[in-house]
Amino acid sequence: MKVTEMIEKTGFKTVYLGEDREVAGVYCGDLLSWVMGKGQPEQAWITVQSHLNVIAVAVLREFSCIVLAEQAEFPEEVIERAKNEGLTLLYSDLPVYETAVRLYEAGV
Amino acid sequence: MFYDLHMHSCLSPCAEDEMTPTNIVNMALIKELDLIALTDHNSTKNLPGIAKAAERAGLRMLYGAELESSEEVHVLALYDDLEQALSLQPWLDEHLPFIPNDEHFFGKEEIRNENDELIGTENKLLIISLDQDLEECIEAIHATGGKAILAHVLDRKNSITNQLGFIPEGLPYDGLEVKSELQRQQVLKSHPWIKEEETFWLIDSDAHQLIDISERVNSLPSAELRAMWRKLP
Repeated sequence: MKVTEMIEKTGFKTVYLGEDREVAGVYCGDLLSWVMGKGQPEQAWITVQSHLNVIAVAVLREFSCIVLAEQAEFPEEVIERAKNEGLTLLYSDLPVYETAVRLYEAGV
Repeated sequence: MFYDLHMHSCLSPCAEDEMTPTNIVNMALIKELDLIALTDHNSTKNLPGIAKAAERAGLRMLYGAELESSEEVHVLALYDDLEQALSLQPWLDEHLPFIPNDEHFFGKEEIRNENDELIGTENKLLIISLDQDLEECIEAIHATGGKAILAHVLDRKNSITNQLGFIPEGLPYDGLEVKSELQRQQVLKSHPWIKEEETFWLIDSDAHQLIDISERVNSLPSAELRAMWRKLP
């Protein structure tokens, strides 16, 4: 499934639409040291962490997109950095668990 | 100048009750330290007591607090002026969410004077994160005339590398704290943008009990310390 199809099926709000990458799974986590160690390429990453470092971690792990859950918000500079990297940023109003469930129901 | 600039008093719930102002000062004297700092979690309220106890004993002090940002990163605020350090307290009061301290679970949060007499207790739980992110914490420290030192940067708990993966380039901190020389080398190896010579390094104990206060092993030239606190933020 591509990122655009995933957005359509989940209804997550698009903050920035970057490259339409393949979504092959989901990773959940907020401790970036763990995410750096355990994330896998083409995963959609659900987190509540919005620090600038999330962009570097997502690029390093080759995630397909970041889904910021629980109504957390990305600072402007983070969105700008994502644009430089072509990395899609999404908002989910739901808590992390329900966000993951919605991705599961969408077939990710 | 032999120092230990990161320790907790009986105000921090996780510290032992024995960490009273005079006990800390006396242990620092026994260990022949030249300079200490008190850095309780998200609070400056035990600084006046220990400041007087240290002055009476002729021990030099810096005045501090250990802030926990919304990313749960710990950062030390260090001041060479007591009044400046205390001027951070209204900001801490504003940005520390109110959760009552359950002292049976977390421990007591005692405010003691220079004679170790109990003069108050903190009712807010201090060991939670402020509603301000790391950059905002550093900004608040600088606005009150303090220095921002990223605390125990390689710890597996509440360190910048654990919470945020690595130390970002361009973050306006004033220094990095590690637990050993080996850790310092590890930080340099994994962060090519951190310049060894241009960085202010501290090796502190993060003592929560008297015995853990540093021995006379870590030193800094007084000139470097003076330069640090004269430098404008």
